[in-house]
Amino acid sequence: MRRFFVLMLALGFIFAGCAKKTVTAPEKQETVQKETAPKAETEQPMKTEEASKAAPKKVETMPVKEEPINVKTSMFGNILFAFDQYNIREDAKPTLKDVADWMMKNKDAKMTLEGHADDRGTNEYNLALGEKRAKSARDYLVSSGVSKTRLEMVSYGEEKPLCTEQTEECWQKNRRVQFTSTGKELK
Amino acid sequence: MNLKDTGYKIQEAGYKNSVSCIVHHASCIIIFFLIFSLFTAVCEAKIYIDINSPAIKKLPIAIPEFTGRDGKVISEIIKNDLDFTGLFFCIDKDAYIESSSQAFNPKNWSVIGAEAVIKGTVSGEQNITAIVSLYDVTGSGEVFKREYKAGRASIKQFAHTIANDIYKHITGENGIFKTKIAFVAEDEGKKGLYIMDWDGTGIKRLGIRGNFVLRPHWSEDGTKLVYSSERNRQWGIYLLDFTKMTEKKIFASTGLNMSGNFFPNGDEVIFSSSKDETYGLYRLKISGSSLTRITSARWIEVSPAVSPDGKLIAFVSDKGGTPQIYIMNKEGRDARRLTFEGSYNTSPSWAPDGKRIVFVGRHAGRHQIFTIAVDGSELTRLTDKGNNEDPSLSPDGRFIIFSSDRDGKTGIYIMRANGEAQKRIIPAWLRAFGPKWSPN
Repeated sequence: MRRFFVLMLALGFIFAGCAKKTVTAPEKQETVQKETAPKAETEQPMKTEEASKAAPKKVETMPVKEEPINVKTSMFGNILFAFDQYNIREDAKPTLKDVADWMMKNKDAKMTLEGHADDRGTNEYNLALGEKRAKSARDYLVSSGVSKTRLEMVSYGEEKPLCTEQTEECWQKNRRVQFTSTGKELK
Repeated sequence: MNLKDTGYKIQEAGYKNSVSCIVHHASCIIIFFLIFSLFTAVCEAKIYIDINSPAIKKLPIAIPEFTGRDGKVISEIIKNDLDFTGLFFCIDKDAYIESSSQAFNPKNWSVIGAEAVIKGTVSGEQNITAIVSLYDVTGSGEVFKREYKAGRASIKQFAHTIANDIYKHITGENGIFKTKIAFVAEDEGKKGLYIMDWDGTGIKRLGIRGNFVLRPHWSEDGTKLVYSSERNRQWGIYLLDFTKMTEKKIFASTGLNMSGNFFPNGDEVIFSSSKDETYGLYRLKISGSSLTRITSARWIEVSPAVSPDGKLIAFVSDKGGTPQIYIMNKEGRDARRLTFEGSYNTSPSWAPDGKRIVFVGRHAGRHQIFTIAVDGSELTRLTDKGNNEDPSLSPDGRFIIFSSDRDGKTGIYIMRANGEAQKRIIPAWLRAFGPKWSPN
C-alpha cells in the first residue's frame, strides 16, 4: 500500500512536469529520499517504468492511512515477565483478573494480546518468547472463563520497545504483554 | 580494502516489473560473460599454499596495476579478494620495480621478497578483454596465462572470476569471490530483502517488504531463497525464485511460522510453527505442498537448520529451562543437546563440511559468535565487541558473515572462520541483519 503511494507520488511528480519544489512531500517520504539518495540515477528509470505500468487514469496524491482496525487504546496496564521467561507472575494476576472481568461484561469485545521481549535476544527466539508470553496470558484468561475465540495473540519480539536504555528497569518494561481491545465496546 | 571507492550504490531492482530488471537480476546469479581459455596451463598446476596445513605461511605476492583503462579497477579487486583470505601477503606497490607492461624478470621481484606476481593487460571499451598471467618468481616463470572477455557492465564479477582462477591455481581450492550475501535491512519503514556481493559492494534491494522479514536461506544451487515474513498480521513462508524473479507464498497460518533452510534436494524446507498452539518443527515439500510435523513441544522450538548432507537438524529448544542447541535426525528423533556452556545459545548454522556449527551464545551479558564441533568439543568464541548475531559460513568454510551492533547501528560484518580480520562491509547508514552466504 505504501509502495503504491510512493508510485502515486512519483507519478504525481511526473505529471506535474517535475517542475519546481511546489509539492511538499510528507515527512516520511523525505526520509526515504534522503536514505536512498546515492542510488538516484539507477532508481529513476525503474520508478518511471513501474509507474507507467501501474498508471491509473487519474492521479491524486493523498496521505495513505493504515487500514483502521478500530483500536481502543488499552485501559489495562501491561503485565510483565522475568528475563527469558514466559510464565505468569503473581504481580500480573490482578491485571489479568481485570481483563477477564471486563471481557465477561463486554460480550462482543475482542482482545488482542501483544507479546514483547527486551532487545537482549536473537530475533527468532525473541519472537517465540513474545508469542509464548501472549499465550500464557491468553491461557490464563481462558481459564478464567473467557472464550478463546475472542482472544487474538500477536508477537512483536524485540521490535516495539517502550524504551531503549540498556538498563534492567527498561528491559523489564519491555518484557511485557499489552492488551488492546478491538470491536464494539459496551456502555 | 578501500570500501569508500565502491561508492555503495544501491540499485533499486524493483520486482517482476520488466524484462530488463529480470535480466539484471539474473546477472547476479548467472555469470553472463564468457571465459576463453586461450592457453592450457603452461606448466602443470602447482600448489603454492597448502591451506590445510596447520601452520600457514602467507605467500608474498605482488600485483602491479594492470594496463589499460580498467586495469586499475580489475587489479584492485583481485588484490582485495586475495588479501582478505589471509593466505597472501600483498607487497606494497611502492616497492615495485617492474610494471605490468614490462617483460617479467624474476630478479626484479625476488629483491622485494615477492614469490608470485600477477600481471595483466586490459583493453576494450564496451567489451573488455583481459590477459592475465601468474608468475612464479622462484621457479618456473609464467605458470598461468588466460584471456578473459566480458561486457563492461559486469566488470566486478569479471575481476572476481580472475581472482577465483588465480586462487584455485595457487591453493587448489575453489574461491568464493563470486558469491553473494542475502540479507534483511530497513526498507521504507519496513524490513526488506537485499542481496550484495560477498565484499559488500553492489547492494541491491529486491523490493520485497514486510513488517517483519527474517533471515533468508539459499537453495543449494543458489537459485532460490526461502524466508518468513509477516504481512497483514499473518506469518507466511515465501519462496523467491531468481531464475523467474517471482515470489510465491508456500505456507501461511495463524501463529508464528519461521523458516529454516532447504534440504539438499531443494524441494523441501524446514520451519518452526506454532500453528497448532504447541511449537513444532515441520518439513514442507514445495512441490505438492505436503507438510510433515516432526516434533511437538510445549516449550519453544525454533531456528531449525538442516545439515549439508540432509541427515541432521540442529535447532533451538528451551526444554531444559534455557535456550540451547540440539541436534536430531531428519525424522525428528534422537535429539541430543549440543551446547552446555552458558544460559543462552541460539541461531545455529552448519559449516559446509557438516563438522562444525556456528551459533550465537550469550557471554558476559552480550551476544557473541561461537563455533563448536558437532560432537560438542572445540567450543570457541570468535567475537568480543558489542552484540553479534546471525552467523553464516562461506561455501568454502573459511569465512563467517554476521551482524553486529559494535559500531552503533546494526550492520553486516565479515571475518575469517577463526575470528581474524573482522570488518564491517556495508555502509553505516543502513541498518541490516540476517546475512546468509550463497552456496556459489
